[in-house]
Amino acid sequence: MIKCRLLSVLLLLLPLVACQSPTDRPVMKIGYMNCNSEAETLARFKPLTKYLSDRLNIDFQAVPVDTQDFPERFAAGEFEFTHTNSLVYVIMRENQQLELVATEKRGNYGTHTAGAIIARKDSGIKTLADIKGKRMIFGPQLAPSGFLAQYDLMLREGIDPELDIAYYAIPSGSFKHEKVVYGVYFGQYDVGASPALDLELMTKEGKITADDFVILGQSPIFPYCTFGARKDVDQELVKAFRQALVELTQADTVDYQGEQLKVLASAWIDGFEALEDSDYNQLREMAKRANMPPYQEF
Amino acid sequence: MLKDRFDILLGGLLLACAALIVGLLLGGGSQASQRDLAVDKALEQEIAYQAKVSFLERLYAPVSELRTAGQNEAALLKLDELSRRYPDEAHGELLRGEILLQLQAIPEATAHLARAVRMNGDYVDQHSPLSRRDLFEQLLGEQLTVIKSRAKKNPSATALQAALKDLYYLQGRLAGGCE
Repeated sequence: MIKCRLLSVLLLLLPLVACQSPTDRPVMKIGYMNCNSEAETLARFKPLTKYLSDRLNIDFQAVPVDTQDFPERFAAGEFEFTHTNSLVYVIMRENQQLELVATEKRGNYGTHTAGAIIARKDSGIKTLADIKGKRMIFGPQLAPSGFLAQYDLMLREGIDPELDIAYYAIPSGSFKHEKVVYGVYFGQYDVGASPALDLELMTKEGKITADDFVILGQSPIFPYCTFGARKDVDQELVKAFRQALVELTQADTVDYQGEQLKVLASAWIDGFEALEDSDYNQLREMAKRANMPPYQEF
Repeated sequence: MLKDRFDILLGGLLLACAALIVGLLLGGGSQASQRDLAVDKALEQEIAYQAKVSFLERLYAPVSELRTAGQNEAALLKLDELSRRYPDEAHGELLRGEILLQLQAIPEATAHLARAVRMNGDYVDQHSPLSRRDLFEQLLGEQLTVIKSRAKKNPSATALQAALKDLYYLQGRLAGGCE
């Protein structure tokens, strides 16, 4: 009888012993800024998150976050690590001392990107001075290469976006940057604020041609999307996290849902680089000139 | 016809002389034709090279025009478009490197310039119409110390370490080193 009971207890405990893996590891959350939709964000970043979990023996969980909610949710302590655009990184760096981990590489400028102001080539608009009184479309307000860079560029060229153009709009929903390009292409707007990367990708994909648009101006380059760590995360872990990212190559794969996926290709990323926080100063100057967060004054 | 031994000897000598003359003529002719062939080959190579340079100029003319007009960003887009038809073409790599250099994307520019030289050594040949020795010397003069110091300060920065290697590679090629 006693033997039987012992056996039953052992049988009950067996699954617990066998399932040592992910659940026993420390759990941490990585907040990923949504570019277009939650579904797209998770599809892109879950394989990378799994790779980091395997490499660092931590159960990382990917949390999709809307851009405008990000600083607030991070301040509330929801995530240990963050993946955002560079402006949201600067905001959280200023306000919550977010630590720089690594910067994403994608497109012609590698770790950097830029914002361009475009018009249709046949529009008759040839210079930035010509955009006064025209209809303009920007990207979302917290997009450094879809709003801030162009807003700052216009101010530096003596054009006040609030006063000197007929009106400006910001597209709703997902794929906002493509909507900007198509909004200009199909003539709904005269001028658009497009990230240089989107123009590059759309040209490479054959969605537009280089001859469709005239680039009226382009901002200086500044860092692209960025991984950060909360200030109370163990420094050794931050270092290991950074190392895991910068060592990633196009050939690295992860076992994800029964498939071997290429980690970087799944996330639409060319690689990672360990930049310094001072590399973001160009962007800080832009935000100050444009009176945008985190330097906004009323 | 051959009446005695003297006639036979004379006939034999005449035949030998004729054979010698024919042999000399044929031998001289073949040397001349070999010389002609060598000249033709060099000429063909020169013509092919000039045709290649001229083709590259024509192919990338829209990029050059945009750069001349100060439209570096549009020139990059034009290159993106051309790279769909001619991926991994050395001259496209070179132009991309030159443009990125002007736009201050230094590590990326260095990577493209070094790749262009690896694909086509003419860019470091001072006698080639494609030569960019001056550009490489200027790049090394302005960036080698800067990149070296930044790479030393930030050893995790893989792009900086790669840029430093590329700069050393260009330096070696300018000094006459091979692959």
